[in-house]
Amino acid sequence: MAADYWASTQRRHWQFSREALAEIRQKLEDDDRALVQQYPLPDRRFLSHFFNLQLAKLGKKFMIRQQALATAQIYIRRFYSKVEIRRTNPYLVLATAFYLACKMEECPQHIRMVVSESRQLWPDFIISDVSKLGECEFYLISEMNSQLIIHHPYRTLQSLQNTLSMAQDDTSLAWSIINDHYMTDLPLLYPPHVIAVTAIFLALTLKPTQAGLQAAASTAAALSSTTLMPKDQPGSGNGVLNTQQKKVQNLVSWLAEGEIDIQSAVECSQEIISLYDVLEQYNEKTCKEQIGRFVKARGLEK
Amino acid sequence: MDFSRGTPCATNINPEPLNHRPSHNTLKRQVTDQLVAPRDVLNYERPIKKLKSGQLLASQGMDKRHPSSFQQLEKLGEGTYATVFKGRNRQTGELVALKEIHLDSEEGTPSTAIREISLMKELKHDNIVSLHDVIHTENKLMLVFEYMDKDLKKYMDSRGSGGQLDYITIKSFMHQLLQGIAFCHENRVLHRDLKPQNLLINNKGQLKLADFGLARAFGIPVNTFSNEVVTLWYRAPDVLLGSRTYNTSIDIWSAGCIMAEMYTGRPLFPGTTNEDQLQKIFRIMGTPSERSWPGISQFPEYKSSFHVYATQDLRIFLPQIDQVGLDLISRMLQLRPEMRVGALEALSHIWFRDLPQLRQQQAQQAQQIQMGGQGSMMMGGSSGGGYGVPVYQ
Repeated sequence: MAADYWASTQRRHWQFSREALAEIRQKLEDDDRALVQQYPLPDRRFLSHFFNLQLAKLGKKFMIRQQALATAQIYIRRFYSKVEIRRTNPYLVLATAFYLACKMEECPQHIRMVVSESRQLWPDFIISDVSKLGECEFYLISEMNSQLIIHHPYRTLQSLQNTLSMAQDDTSLAWSIINDHYMTDLPLLYPPHVIAVTAIFLALTLKPTQAGLQAAASTAAALSSTTLMPKDQPGSGNGVLNTQQKKVQNLVSWLAEGEIDIQSAVECSQEIISLYDVLEQYNEKTCKEQIGRFVKARGLEK
Repeated sequence: MDFSRGTPCATNINPEPLNHRPSHNTLKRQVTDQLVAPRDVLNYERPIKKLKSGQLLASQGMDKRHPSSFQQLEKLGEGTYATVFKGRNRQTGELVALKEIHLDSEEGTPSTAIREISLMKELKHDNIVSLHDVIHTENKLMLVFEYMDKDLKKYMDSRGSGGQLDYITIKSFMHQLLQGIAFCHENRVLHRDLKPQNLLINNKGQLKLADFGLARAFGIPVNTFSNEVVTLWYRAPDVLLGSRTYNTSIDIWSAGCIMAEMYTGRPLFPGTTNEDQLQKIFRIMGTPSERSWPGISQFPEYKSSFHVYATQDLRIFLPQIDQVGLDLISRMLQLRPEMRVGALEALSHIWFRDLPQLRQQQAQQAQQIQMGGQGSMMMGGSSGGGYGVPVYQ
């Protein structure tokens, strides 16, 4: 939100290549081999989905706006790229990320309220000592090197909705797709505007009526082919095109003229599509159990 | 780190848990060996990775073994939420400013500190004071800033002529102030609390913006700002009228007030309460009406009973100012926020056109003094060439 993205710490310190991110995580796991083997965890996307749902529950109690929740999710993802999750109490990290994000997004909540609401949600994992949250907060701040300002794709979406003459439906669908991308690694891999463009493209092609993976998959294909398309679209077909297709055409020509990295947008859309695919198999019970197991066994909740 | 053991976080200086387990001693040594500079207190990811115990030892005990890396010197002042000391890095001898923030377990790390730290991480500019380090101890947070000699208020007080500054200094300071503001605004940050106490001056004549405790990154939405910001004297009329959708123009108003103060040595609008502040502004700038400021009656603090003052000529209050400078300040001190000049536009105002030339002359004079040594009286009657007069580099 603050400052220029191009000069931001987000771009300079928190954007990785896939390989670099994989390496960082590998190293974390290698450092704690025994622990990792002892306590298996579900796919990272399941965990993220679980965190997302928990965070949403907490957010609901405080009527917090989406952007603060998005910031909290990024904090969690950044934090766990530095610290092995099995060394922490994820519920406390969740509550703390929420608390910190609310401060940063200027909707601060009282620490006591955050602790007591979290305790109600996760009674087995949060104790009523507020200083725990305060300590964990500084832990988060330190691990993130005090780089707490997050640039989100929402702003790009808002500034593009008129340019691309998007209907309210399209915008809100794109908005939800952006919400969902926080369950993937995309925020650590791509700049926010690429994510926004991806979400817009998916929203325009993936209409709720024809929603489904096939539609989404063809979207990705269409997106990849944009690179090959001539700059000016033949106007002859216009009569045949419905409005939705026109919007897509709009976007395609806008993309063709712009400097957005199409390849990145293609990769992003594939990632998001496969997220929806993977989440079909999501099982909350497994997540809960597997997290609970190491937290309890190691006494991390106290 | 485990949150489990009742062991303090990174944050606490408490070597106790270490002593329970002899196996940690080697680790402890490894960790402390690496802790040479305070920078490592915050960037402790390297030490952490070495720890098998899951405890975060990096900052623990650090201060006990290396009694503070900074020598604390005299108190420099009280900030909005902290105390500032002069300090010296024991290793490098470098002077620093240490901003100590007392921590209250009831609110974690104060929002003001978090805001300031995170903004300072993004904003790197010659006219913005730079943050070297953040050190967290048991009950306080210490921000290590580059050292600046004085704030503008003290600088003016020390000038002997009733706080008035000379023409070249004013121009140089205004230019730097606007550059700092422009940079903030380009980066979508409002300072919100510009005042002479928050502008720092070093003996090279550089001016830097400090104290971002109230600064805010302005993204969407813009309608939720708290209206309790900016010290009254430098507070823009729209904010005083209760606007919650103010924007970058509030910093420009403050800059205008500061410019006037540099000319006279006295605050232009020294109000005591919100209402008094508005009255002091209207007395000089004229009371706005629905005709001169459409929509003004919609502001929460607007009263139809405002005393009606006629607009006065600013020159009466600033007899020393030249015509061009008067034009610039009038553009900054516009009652209506949308009429106020932007920082970039202000920087290209013709008043600044002769600044490079003036600086060059000043540098030459300074050089002549140095070369001429004692006795040489080459510099004529200019009051601007002596010791302590800033030569901007």
